[in-house]
Amino acid sequence: MIVDSLTFLGVSLFGRRASAPELIAAMDELGVDRAVVCPLKPADYRLEAANDTVADAVRAHRTRLVGFARVDPWLGEGAVAEIERALTLGLRGLFLHPWEETFCVAAPVVDPVLEAAQRHRLPVIVASGYPWLSEGLQVADLARRFPDVTIVATNGAQINISGLGQLDAELALTSCPNLHIQTTGVYREDFLEGVASRLGGERVLFASGFPFFDPRLELRRVQWAPGFAAEAREQILGGNAARLLLH
Amino acid sequence: MLFPRHTASDMRPDRPVIVDSHLHVDHVPALGWSLEAAECIRRMDEAGIAKGIVMSIVDAPEVNPGALELVAEACAAFPGRLEAYARIHPWYGDDAVALLERAITELGFKGLKLHPVTTIAHPAGEDTLRLIRAAAAHAAPTLFHCGDEPLTTPLAIARAAAACPEATIVLGHMGGYFHVDEAIAVAERHENLLLETSAMPFPAKIREAVGRLGPERVLYGSDGPACSPLLEVEKVRLAALDPLAEELVLGGNAQRMLEAVV
Repeated sequence: MIVDSLTFLGVSLFGRRASAPELIAAMDELGVDRAVVCPLKPADYRLEAANDTVADAVRAHRTRLVGFARVDPWLGEGAVAEIERALTLGLRGLFLHPWEETFCVAAPVVDPVLEAAQRHRLPVIVASGYPWLSEGLQVADLARRFPDVTIVATNGAQINISGLGQLDAELALTSCPNLHIQTTGVYREDFLEGVASRLGGERVLFASGFPFFDPRLELRRVQWAPGFAAEAREQILGGNAARLLLH
Repeated sequence: MLFPRHTASDMRPDRPVIVDSHLHVDHVPALGWSLEAAECIRRMDEAGIAKGIVMSIVDAPEVNPGALELVAEACAAFPGRLEAYARIHPWYGDDAVALLERAITELGFKGLKLHPVTTIAHPAGEDTLRLIRAAAAHAAPTLFHCGDEPLTTPLAIARAAAACPEATIVLGHMGGYFHVDEAIAVAERHENLLLETSAMPFPAKIREAVGRLGPERVLYGSDGPACSPLLEVEKVRLAALDPLAEELVLGGNAQRMLEAVV
C-alpha cells in the first residue's frame, strides 16, 4: 500500500490550486492508495472555510483521503476552538505552517494548539526546514516539549541545497523519538537513506507535497533511492503513514 | 520494477547523449562524505550518462592543497568519461589564479567551480571576478553554487555576470528551493548566465526556464553521486520538453561548452 502523507487542496493565496478530483486523479496515475490532505492557505485568510473544503473532500472520498485541520496559532483560543470544530467535521490531525502563518514553531504561542493535539491524540504535521521559523532543531524543541504527540516534519526537516541543514535534522531525530520526517523535495537521497539506516525506517514517510511538488518525481525519489532496505522502503511508502496518521 | 536500470535501448544512437554538468569526487571525513569516481561512473551508467563533469567538495589551496590533483586523478582513471572543473578559493589572489591556469593548461580542466558558502567570498568581490575573468580567457565557464544561502543567491551572482560580460556563468541548482524564479529572472537580464538543474525539485521550473531563456541556456546536472543522476535525468524528462530542447539540456549544451575551452 502506498500512502501519500502530505497533499493539499483549495486555492492558495500564493497561486497554487488543487481540487479533490485533481488530487484523486494524481493518486490514481501513480497507484497511491490513500493520502493525508490539508488545506492550502486560502486567499481570504479564513482557515475555517478551507478546513470545511477538506472535510467535504474527505466525505466524498472516505476510502482514499484523511483530512487534517490547519490552524493559525496566533489566534490563540480561536485556534483551539477551530481544532474542536474540525474534529466534529471528521478531520483527524493538525497541520501547521510556520512560514505561511509566520510563527516560530518553538515559541510559546504554539503551546495551546499542541496541548489540544495532546488532549485529542492528534498527530501534527509541521511545515519544516523554513529559515528562522521551523528549522530542524526548532521542530525538535517542539517535539521535546510535547513528547506524547506524534510530530511529522515536512521536507526532511531541512530545506538547504548545500546540505547544511542535515546535521541539525539528524540531531533533532536522534533526540526526539516522537519526531518523524517526510521525503518531499529532500536534498539528498542519501540523507533519507542514512536516517533510515541509522535511526530506523519507521522515522521516514513518503510525501508528495501535491500540488506544490510534482508527485511523479517525489514518488520516484523514494522508489528509486538505492540505499533503502526493502522492508524500510515499504514502511516509508505506506506503513508508517498508516500507523501514525490514518488511525 | 521499482528500480529501473538503463537498458540497451537507452544507449541507442538516436537517444540524446547525456552529459552531467555537476558531479563530485572528494573525501570529507568531517561530514561523513566519501564520493568516489567509481561511484560516479556506476551511477552515470545506471542513468545512461555518457560523460560527467566532476569537481571537489572543498577548495584548493585550502582546505585541501591537493584538491586539483584528486580530481585530475579521478578523470585519468576513467578516460573519456569524466571532465573536471577546478574548485578554487578566491582569497588566495595570485596563487589562486596560478592554480586555475595550471588546472586548465596543464591538467586539462574545463571550468571553474565556486561555492561561496565554503569560501565566504562574494560572487562580485574583486578576488572572485579575477578568477572568473581568468577562466573566461580560456572560454571556460564558471559554475557557481546558487541556492538560498547568503553569497549564493541569483541576484548576488548576477552582479558578477554584469561585471564580466565576457564570461559564461552557470547558476548551479538554478536557485535552490526559494530562488528559482529569481534565477530565471536574472538570466533573462544577463545573457551570459545559464541555469543548471541539479537538486532543484520542480520539473515545471525547468520547462519554464527553457521557455523563457531558450533551450541553449539550461544544463542538466545531478550533484551526484550523492544525489541520484537517474532521478535527476528523470526530472528533466518530466519537464516534457520538445525533443530538440531536451537533447540540448541533457547534453548538447554541456558538450558545446566543453569543446569551446582553449
